[in-house]
Amino acid sequence: MAIIEIDKLVKSYRVYQKREGLLEAIRGLYHRDYRDIHAVKSIDLRVEQGEFVAFLGPNGAGKTTTLKLLSGVIYPTSGSVKVMGYVPWERHNEYRRRFALVMGQKNQLWWDLPAQESFRLHQQIYRIDPTDYQKMLDELTSLLDVSKLLGRPVRELSLGERMKMELIAALLHAPDILFLDEPTIGLDVVAQRNIQQFLKFYQEKRNITILLTSHYMKDIVALCRRVVVIAQGQIKYDGSLSGIVDGFSGDKIVTLQLAENQSAGGLELLGDILSIELPRVKLKCKRSDVARVLAEVLKRFQIDDVAVEDPPLEEVIASLFAQVDFEEVASTTAEVS
Amino acid sequence: MTPPQVRQDSLRLQIGTWITIFRIALEERLVYRGDFALGTLMRFLPIITQIFLWWAIFDSVNAGSVATTSLVGYSFPDMVAYYLLTMLARAFSSMPGLASTIARQIRDGEIKKFLIQPVDMLGFLFLGRVAHKVAYYSVAFLPFAFVFFLCRGYFENGWPSAINLFAFFLSMLMSFALGFFLEASLGLIGFWFLEVSALLFVYMLFSFFLSGHMFPLDMLPPSWSLVVNFLPFKYLAYFPAVVFLEKVQGTELAIDLAVEAAWVVFFVLLSRWLYARGVRHYSGYGG
Amino acid sequence: MQQSNRKTDFLSYVGVFLAFAKNSLIRDMTFRTNFVLECVSSVAWTLMNVGFYLIVFNFTKSIGSNTGWGQYEFFVFLGTTWLINSIVQAFFMPNAEEFSELIRQGGLDFALLKPMDTQFLVSFRKVDWSALSNLLVAITLIVYSLWHMAIRPENPWQFDIVTLLLFVFYVGCGATMLYCLMTCLSATSIWLGRNQSLYDFWFYITNFSRYPMEIYQRGWGKPLWAVFTFIVPVLLVVNVPARILAQPLHPRAAWEWPLAIFAVVATFLCLVFSRWVFQRALISYRSASS
Repeated sequence: MAIIEIDKLVKSYRVYQKREGLLEAIRGLYHRDYRDIHAVKSIDLRVEQGEFVAFLGPNGAGKTTTLKLLSGVIYPTSGSVKVMGYVPWERHNEYRRRFALVMGQKNQLWWDLPAQESFRLHQQIYRIDPTDYQKMLDELTSLLDVSKLLGRPVRELSLGERMKMELIAALLHAPDILFLDEPTIGLDVVAQRNIQQFLKFYQEKRNITILLTSHYMKDIVALCRRVVVIAQGQIKYDGSLSGIVDGFSGDKIVTLQLAENQSAGGLELLGDILSIELPRVKLKCKRSDVARVLAEVLKRFQIDDVAVEDPPLEEVIASLFAQVDFEEVASTTAEVS
Repeated sequence: MTPPQVRQDSLRLQIGTWITIFRIALEERLVYRGDFALGTLMRFLPIITQIFLWWAIFDSVNAGSVATTSLVGYSFPDMVAYYLLTMLARAFSSMPGLASTIARQIRDGEIKKFLIQPVDMLGFLFLGRVAHKVAYYSVAFLPFAFVFFLCRGYFENGWPSAINLFAFFLSMLMSFALGFFLEASLGLIGFWFLEVSALLFVYMLFSFFLSGHMFPLDMLPPSWSLVVNFLPFKYLAYFPAVVFLEKVQGTELAIDLAVEAAWVVFFVLLSRWLYARGVRHYSGYGG
Repeated sequence: MQQSNRKTDFLSYVGVFLAFAKNSLIRDMTFRTNFVLECVSSVAWTLMNVGFYLIVFNFTKSIGSNTGWGQYEFFVFLGTTWLINSIVQAFFMPNAEEFSELIRQGGLDFALLKPMDTQFLVSFRKVDWSALSNLLVAITLIVYSLWHMAIRPENPWQFDIVTLLLFVFYVGCGATMLYCLMTCLSATSIWLGRNQSLYDFWFYITNFSRYPMEIYQRGWGKPLWAVFTFIVPVLLVVNVPARILAQPLHPRAAWEWPLAIFAVVATFLCLVFSRWVFQRALISYRSASS
């Protein structure tokens, strides 16, 4: 049985539509306009125990909302969710002891206190056995290399150190499921790497289930075998990372190392030239065309080396999002006309 | 030398910026209608307890004959009228949350916004407050007028003379400026101390007691009133009220208005100076 | 089984509360100067209030004629006001103030995640230790006034353990009623969006509770008295315990005992009502946010 089962999950809410202009604002005192936001339109998803799943999508796609629904913080408009057999928004204490939510942009540690005080509080709230607590704390602090920082007020820590503390706070009660919302946001490359390595190690060691949203492709490449692309509140893709490239990009990148004195003239006829830094030339062409292009190149040019690659993931994703947007616009226009 | 054309343009742009800031602040205020409705309604509750408290006090001073009793020159209706007027004055001169907001912005580094953008922080906040008051009174005017109409019986002498009425309006406007720059100066001390809340509390204390918000300052023992007369607090509430009740007149009135104006100028300069020094101090230790 | 579960539940709530209190104390101690200043200023605030009444009692012998609230009786009343007030300011006020901030910034989400009662987590997260300094001032004021009443030749005050126990019990009731009122007020910030006037609103309503109820029992004060006794029972908060302590147990006017019993009922009803309001507020928060 899947550890997370989501069926036809929908979340809409109303926001007060503020209008431009002073007169409109005064009018707003007694008459208000609301707009319905469909944050999650209809999501079906199964996640198995021990999976590390990435949610990918543009801002406002519904990723965070989905995580909040899964952690029971908010009610859905309709649909059903079962996590480890619990309905999250019923907020059973047993359920709440078995997962954790970490949000990169929010801070739940006491700002003016050393992190260890917040941890002790967690021990009380989650009723963690003192010896288990000490063992867990020692393990986590040594893994993340923050033992020396435990006694320092949180406000004096760097962003990366603070994130590590947030992770420790979230993992002290040994949750079976971890929801991570942008855990590496705003961190420098080194701190990002540290957190990635830790998550990877910890997930494999404990075999817990992790759902992660992130803007950083590097996070996802490093951590997740399974990727769920969400846009406009719907799942657009669910599968392996490499599958995205296969499924959404029909292009290949051909890099040629031209022989000395060989000019690049004529290459533009074979594909889109991405860059020319002689003797190196990058070409983009259709996947189905690769064989023909290579044959032509070898016939007409003197080549020292050649490489064929998939386009960078970021680009594929960007074009995927753009495509989704386009479809959305197209479908709404169709509805109107 | 700056060419006059350019200067004029930049002045116009400057004014345009100010108008925009004012408008945005006003809109922001009007969006939160819930606050408005509650705030206006609740503002009149304390006056009711004051009426009953003083009713009971006047009653016990002269066993049962409230009408003929007088305390330090105030009859019972005078006393109620005094409280109503100080409420009006406090509504002008009080700046809820101003100093603490400034201090918080300094602490959280939000102040950088003013260092980066070409906007003067004190001017920005001042316009924000003006907008707040304008928005507030555009909604609160009717309830205020209604309460004063209901309580017109407490104003035994009716409207004051034209001179006192004019002096009253003048003192109210100055009390707004005094309140703003006094609180802003306090908030700016946050550049040097992380937590200024205790300091603000002390200020609140003094301004509550010595502004005459709690009771007419005439009730203080004579030795006290000498000190109180030299402090700026009395202009925040007591002074406008007694001007309206015509308890201050003639030369005394003129002198008092001049002293109030001097206090306003003093705090304008003080806040400017603190801001300039504070910014230098702030960028000194790196924010 | 059920019994022992309840017991560990209760103990863990106590444990969490103590951790909250400890964390608040550690925080207060990191800003020690500020803490001391805060104690000093809140004590000064109380003394200033006493000062006001000292000035008033320069001009009169009692608050209202024939009400029994002479200077020292009234100072017992005032002490009781500050006693309850300091409890409220130490335990409830800092949390209520933070509640609407939590809603605006999504901090409530974290409270919702924890395996504990959300109202408990939100209501007792912070303790303002400096506010407890007023507790000492209040007790000093009460003891000083009672002592003065005890040594006066006519109608001296007499110590009675029942009086004292009843006083403590009703101070608890009063603080509870104020907690409920505050919870209801802060919960409204979910519906009203930002709620800056929360503190004002609170101040204005509790303002009614700071005076002996006799002063409202004349002219158009009677309906007010009824509203603030029976609908929003803030008049019971201070009046009932202060009256028990400041006036002798016997003789009592016929209406005083029913009022005391009603105060207990009112406390219970307030608790139930505020719990309901809080739950409703949570539901609409959880339905309306994304």
